[in-house]
Amino acid sequence: MSRIAMKVNGADITKDVADPTLLSEFLREHLGLTGTHVGCDTTQCGCCVVHLDGVSVKSCTVLVGQAAGHAVTTIEGLAEGGQLHPVQKAFRECHGLQCGFCTPGMIMAATELIATYPGTLNEHVVREEMEGNLCRCTGYHNIVRAILTAAEEMLGPDRVVQPASDHAKTEG
Amino acid sequence: MLASLWNLVDHNTKDQFAPLQERIKLSLPPQKFKSVGKPVRRNEDERLITGRGRFTDDFSLPGQVFAVMVRSPHPHATIKGIDVSAALEMDGVLGVYTGADLAADGLGQIAHNPVPSTKYDVKLTGRGGTPVYIGEHYLLPMDRVRHVGEAVAMVVAETRQQAQAGAEAVMVDYDPLPWVADTTAATAPDAPRLWDALPDNVLVDSIFGDVKNTDTAFAGAAHVVSMRTHLGRVTGVPLEPRAALGDYDAKTGRYTLYAGSGGAVRQKHEMSSVLGVTPDKMRVISFDVGGNFGTRNRAFIEFGLVVWAAKKLGRPVKFRADRSESFLTDYQGRDLVTEVSLAIDANGKFLALRAHNLSNVGARCVSLSPLSKGSGLITGSYDIPYATLHSRAVYSNTMSTQAYRSSGRPEVTFAIERLIDKAARELGYDRIALRRRNLVKPSQMPYTNAVGSKYDSGEYEKNMDRLLEIGDFAGAKKRKEEAKARGKLLGIGFANYVESSIGTPKERADLIVRPGGVEVVIGTQPAGQGHETSFAQVTADLLGIAFEKVKITLGDTDVVSAGGGTHSGRSMRHASAVISLAVTDMIAKGKAIMAASLNIDPASVEFDDGCFRSTASNRTIDWFDLARLAIALSPDHADGVKVRRDNEMHTPVFPNGSCMCEIEIDPQTGGLELLRYATVDDVGRCINPMIVHGQTHGGIAQGVGQALWEGCVIDPESGQPLAAAFTDYGMPRFDNMPSFVTEIAEVISPTNPLGVKAGGEGGTTPAPAVIMSAIEDALLDYGPPDVSMPATPLKIWTAIHKGKSA
Repeated sequence: MSRIAMKVNGADITKDVADPTLLSEFLREHLGLTGTHVGCDTTQCGCCVVHLDGVSVKSCTVLVGQAAGHAVTTIEGLAEGGQLHPVQKAFRECHGLQCGFCTPGMIMAATELIATYPGTLNEHVVREEMEGNLCRCTGYHNIVRAILTAAEEMLGPDRVVQPASDHAKTEG
Repeated sequence: MLASLWNLVDHNTKDQFAPLQERIKLSLPPQKFKSVGKPVRRNEDERLITGRGRFTDDFSLPGQVFAVMVRSPHPHATIKGIDVSAALEMDGVLGVYTGADLAADGLGQIAHNPVPSTKYDVKLTGRGGTPVYIGEHYLLPMDRVRHVGEAVAMVVAETRQQAQAGAEAVMVDYDPLPWVADTTAATAPDAPRLWDALPDNVLVDSIFGDVKNTDTAFAGAAHVVSMRTHLGRVTGVPLEPRAALGDYDAKTGRYTLYAGSGGAVRQKHEMSSVLGVTPDKMRVISFDVGGNFGTRNRAFIEFGLVVWAAKKLGRPVKFRADRSESFLTDYQGRDLVTEVSLAIDANGKFLALRAHNLSNVGARCVSLSPLSKGSGLITGSYDIPYATLHSRAVYSNTMSTQAYRSSGRPEVTFAIERLIDKAARELGYDRIALRRRNLVKPSQMPYTNAVGSKYDSGEYEKNMDRLLEIGDFAGAKKRKEEAKARGKLLGIGFANYVESSIGTPKERADLIVRPGGVEVVIGTQPAGQGHETSFAQVTADLLGIAFEKVKITLGDTDVVSAGGGTHSGRSMRHASAVISLAVTDMIAKGKAIMAASLNIDPASVEFDDGCFRSTASNRTIDWFDLARLAIALSPDHADGVKVRRDNEMHTPVFPNGSCMCEIEIDPQTGGLELLRYATVDDVGRCINPMIVHGQTHGGIAQGVGQALWEGCVIDPESGQPLAAAFTDYGMPRFDNMPSFVTEIAEVISPTNPLGVKAGGEGGTTPAPAVIMSAIEDALLDYGPPDVSMPATPLKIWTAIHKGKSA
């Protein structure tokens, strides 16, 4: 057992937890932040991505002690002042989610990608950079569009190349 | 002998659809739809993008404890004994339970009902028409284990870690037995036998179609082309691992099971039957489900175990599979071997088809859908006058198979489409022209195929032509040359498909109109398909109210009293039909309420465009005014004006389409890149094109995954499954999938009020065929390649080198 203190979604948290506790488990089972999902046990699926001091981490592979003294942001903390984050809005607008299980991890990973990528974002870059997140429902097509739509809102059109129009008809 | 596939009443009537159309009249003509047909953004999304979804493992109850299963490491073994004493001594362990404990409490088997049973499903039987023997399925077996990963004991402890440690300490004395996993090998008379009740492993052996005329056609044919195909074993891989939380209320004697599935109502009945209680003693909650794809439609043993243990221990019991457990013991899919032959005349006209389909059901028969669904579609999109089909199913020492996205249909589509490519190649036909010559024509609709399936509607040739246009088929030759100049091999794959959507025939809707809005309670179970949105679109338009005013309620059996769940692309069709009926009833009820409330003649009340009007009064009222009047009129309406409507609809629909893809192979490495992927899918009336396109995208990924990467491989020496993590099981990923060009064709089905077919499975159905067609096209210079699925770079590279040396 250790006393663990950290900032989670802007709030100071102090809890006594068993040392082997994973950050994902701490968030879900000790803090009730069940928006962070666990889809595998081997750091492969990306459903559990949260931000640790602004950097994407797979929280199923972070011990709670490693996060002590740091700031964690989860999907629940992404919207500010009741306003959805542009990435959240774009996922809805572009139908970038179906069952929604991979979505929190996708949104957190995409948010960090857009915030930190130094160059021009395009489909190829998004597909390469997001490779550590799995989705079984969407075939990734609309997630790519959601990320590039949000990127354009956040970075401006000069930093983003949108993919060619895809649906021959019936989209509108 | 002519053995019809179908045992149906109205099969021979001239137009089986007319009565249905007459029975269900829409409350407005389709041209007045305001919401239907629009890409309305989803009601589901706000909670899911903010982390407020309600998936099974998100629920926690005070005092809950954790269950972990002890699983067999053997593919086949006698259980000689289980020593739980050491485990019981472990820290935090509360109980260790085996099959003997369940038997002592009188628990029953899971009552699987594997033989599809609508009027239009094929009638599969055992040898000589005998009933199908489906194998015992107790929650924990007492006699032997029949596949790796089968649970033999459950450990419950205060924490998950303690339960895992406890499971390690359970000592099971196994006596290993000979085993068989391979589909064809399992049919051998001397193969290790799974069930003593059968003389061998073959549980289904049925012949359909017109044997005599098929034989005659083959005997007189100018050409016969044959092929053997195997769509291998894959699994659904929903990203939410299966989970269950069981609770028991000693005061009321009721069990509550939180468990995501393909239909809470079904699980309620299955689990109450296992526990030996009446269904009212079982509540099942299934809100957000993190992917299903069919492999979650049938009950898992853990569902029964957690509720049983919750009563035993007086505390809620939680289970969550880890990913390797999901790979080993989620229900799996496909695994169908087909031997197929096509008789063709001198002019390229198809004369007859003969197929032998063999389905591997695994250790127990949970569902015969993969065999049955394909059986009715062996002739594909083509006018082939005669066909015979020999359908067999076999047991093996593997996890049971179940319907997986487009159950049975990719298998038979693969067989016919790859066979046509082969026929074109061997007989010197253009592969598109050969298809065009034989497609079923719109003038032939409704078309009864050679095994009795009645295709409701469709414009197959138009789909194909439109696809060739949007996929730029004409430009392919040039792109091929360009690729060659770069040292790459470009291949174009092509396939048509037709599939059937049948599913459980009954559905119920409760429609409730309140002053603040309308609620529809319905028993389908989405796992991402957006029912809360598309059903609201239909309801809103039929009532003539705003989309935002409709709320769809699903997934809690204390609210949802009946319903068939979600599978076989049934939900939109069944929901729109039963909602149409409920709206018709509600309009009649509304007229009566208005009349009673205003004391006027009911016959003077008319409904149009969302409003009730009467010539006997100057009042015009909308649905919400009506609810207020109703509440004032009678306490019966205190919680709104309610209509409950049941519908039973057996008639299947036949979604169809065309698909092409373009790949590039690097001959140095065998590496493959997917460059283009285009589809045209006739889904009938499309309620929400945004959702339907999304379904197509996801469906494509799953079909492509099967062709290129996915496989539940079993080591032939040890019988051990080799794919137990995302490191071993190749998945469609961001960087191996292309963007898609998908187009929706709407040929309205005459079988149901809104003309819906289905949109969930068309992406998957032709995908394995189209990918393998592209690989063959790319490698033609090396001779027709013999590449099995998944077509890994090693297999492709090997085929190239074999071709070079030949």
